[in-house]
Amino acid sequence: MKRKGAAGWLAHDVTHRGVTAWALALAILGFYVVLYWGDNAQGINPFDRVAWALHIGRHGQSGAKWTLYGALYTAAVTLGGIAFLRRYGHNRYQVVRTIVVIVVQATLAFSVPLMMKMAGHPEHYFSYLWPLKMYYFEPGFIRSNPAPLVLWSFIGSLVIAPVLAVIYGKRWYCSWVCGCGGLANTAGDSFRHLSDKSEKAWRFERVSIYATLIITVVTTALVLASAFVQGAHPQLDLWSEKFRTNYGLIVSSLLSGIIGVAAYPIGGTRVWCRYFCPMAAVLGLFQRAGRFRIRVKEDQCISCGMCSEHCEMGIDVRAYAQANESFTRASCVGCGMCSEVCPRGVLTLENAHTKAPQEQLVQLRLKK
Amino acid sequence: MSARRIVILGNGVAGATCALDLRARDDRAEITVISDESDYFFSRTALMYALMDKLPRAGLEPYERRVWERQRITRVRGRVTDLDAERKQLTLADGTTRAYDALVIATGARPRALSVPGIERVRSGVTSFVSLSDLDACESLVATSERAVVVGGGLIGVELVECLVHHGVKTTFVVREPWCWPAGLGAEEGAMVADHLRKHGVDLRFERTVASVEPDASGRVSAVTLSSGERVACEMFGVCVGVEPNVAWLRACKSVPEIDGAIVVDDRLRTSIESVWAAGDCAAVRAGTALVHEPIWYTAKRHGAFVARQLSGSSERYTAPVFKNSAKFFELEYTAVGQCDPRAHKSALWTHKSLPIAARLFHDGATLWGFSALGSRWDTTMIGRWVEERRPLDWARARLREAQFDPEFSRMRVETSAEAWR
Repeated sequence: MKRKGAAGWLAHDVTHRGVTAWALALAILGFYVVLYWGDNAQGINPFDRVAWALHIGRHGQSGAKWTLYGALYTAAVTLGGIAFLRRYGHNRYQVVRTIVVIVVQATLAFSVPLMMKMAGHPEHYFSYLWPLKMYYFEPGFIRSNPAPLVLWSFIGSLVIAPVLAVIYGKRWYCSWVCGCGGLANTAGDSFRHLSDKSEKAWRFERVSIYATLIITVVTTALVLASAFVQGAHPQLDLWSEKFRTNYGLIVSSLLSGIIGVAAYPIGGTRVWCRYFCPMAAVLGLFQRAGRFRIRVKEDQCISCGMCSEHCEMGIDVRAYAQANESFTRASCVGCGMCSEVCPRGVLTLENAHTKAPQEQLVQLRLKK
Repeated sequence: MSARRIVILGNGVAGATCALDLRARDDRAEITVISDESDYFFSRTALMYALMDKLPRAGLEPYERRVWERQRITRVRGRVTDLDAERKQLTLADGTTRAYDALVIATGARPRALSVPGIERVRSGVTSFVSLSDLDACESLVATSERAVVVGGGLIGVELVECLVHHGVKTTFVVREPWCWPAGLGAEEGAMVADHLRKHGVDLRFERTVASVEPDASGRVSAVTLSSGERVACEMFGVCVGVEPNVAWLRACKSVPEIDGAIVVDDRLRTSIESVWAAGDCAAVRAGTALVHEPIWYTAKRHGAFVARQLSGSSERYTAPVFKNSAKFFELEYTAVGQCDPRAHKSALWTHKSLPIAARLFHDGATLWGFSALGSRWDTTMIGRWVEERRPLDWARARLREAQFDPEFSRMRVETSAEAWR
């Protein structure tokens, strides 16, 4: 039952798909629509004017809205992160993770690109990699950027990210570094329980996320191929441009930005990450093959369901816990909240598959 | 030959586990679960989270509803009023009858009533906290109460107090013993729990009982008088003085199995009536001359699974594995493995210098008998094996760090030298 009083009503309503939750979702939706498509004929966005009024960016400069957006996003992550730390400060995993998320957002995802821009360089977001940021594999990016940045983009995407996912699971990225995850786990934390836990949602997730990944790979391949043949096949250029534009509109703007964030009060914080993010799809595959898992302590689960309720990725953790099954799911972002809320301390996140207790006992006997 | 008709009474964890495990082994049997409490199996242990709005009602159910249809488990809502062993037939309160080839009684436990002067005149405001109807009652009472009294220092009492505190109800917690739950907690751990509860604003009254209860003009509880003579005004009175096996209904039946507090079962969990089993909180297992009654979740789940195996042809004998239990006092988690009665065994205690963390090794001077811990997490599977193998006390203490189960970066440094354990 909700707490007493108007504050109790609001806290419940906004986090349980009430009127205020829908109003909030619509407000976020409106914000993004204006931000993305609200430019007038001169290319000036209402948020540019807001930015100028706040002395963000030069007066009259048209891209000021993005600096304003970055500042707002960083403020949301920081303030939400502080609220999260106040709540879960007793859990050092949550403390370390949240501090890293805030610092990465404030530096790599905000102030570093801003300073680059102010110094006259094209901005670069070191915390974003292909396939999440498809642009970093495109000829346009490769041609116009210094070699170290291009190298970082390729090595980061193709070597570092997969290797880290094999060793630590996808959490090193999805709940420690990525801005989408960062906002979800800080400002969005009160909405995490809204993720759909049904089997149906899981089936949809497996289709949609790999479909997006395939589209991303195909688009990247088309764009690279078209640049490689340099106009020899005009038809290819046409298709490549078509794919690129539609990808930008549908995946980058609509799904990751608008649906991703506006859906917080309705479908939980990880709608984008769970159903569509191509980066999450790739890392999830490496996670399945890697060492990360959630270990379940034998015969100690009381089936209360707090773990499933708090899983932002919609994993029915209780199903595994009550069956004594340690598990690795491709979608798990390793936020560690199932372990945190478990009233009986049944779950733990680990990077190494420890040996079965029987094997350990054999070793203990030998040592004795 | 037609399919075997298996009827399970009660859809708590024992009954539900039995039904699902049986279906996994027997594709043909007709499985029916009868309950007068709820349509679907729900987690009783999660009631407190529903009361605190941390779980929706649907979240209380450990399985998606269509699982029961898919597993072809027939659910019947109703109360059984008669058991006729000769005709292998049950009669329900609505007069319908139901034949069985095998019957599993898993009716659980019910809250013990409190008989103190005045309680018979109270028409509302008194509740326990073990059933769905208790949850309903608590929700309406919390909404209309400023102050509450809870009696009973066991686990359910603490859970109800936590919910009341969460909702801002001023709560007086009356505990008969000198600290909460002395069956599980030593005096030092008890003091830690008491400190923790007080920090949350609970008004604790140890070594007190309830002497009388007063209703107001409308019949709603208005005050509780303690054994000390103190009168505490309240609009809600939580009675959490333990549970007792839900077997009273059996005494009115035509066929009555042997009952000694709980339904007595043998080492295959069979009752004294042929083709009738009992599992969970309503059953006590005869082990030699003793009766073992463990009204806890884990035991009920194990019983349910065991009976499912019996019904599918197993002839194994029930042996209880190393005892394990767990609890939570607000934020403080508690775990126990093995024999952990501070009143029955010697023990060595380690406490953290600043945090409310304690661990206790129970022993006979040489070997490990049990382990309990407050405020930290432990790999109970590993420690359970140590207990089972009668490991030397020193050996176990030296290896305790291997058994820590707290989240990454959160593992405190456990002292393993003998001097640190007193």
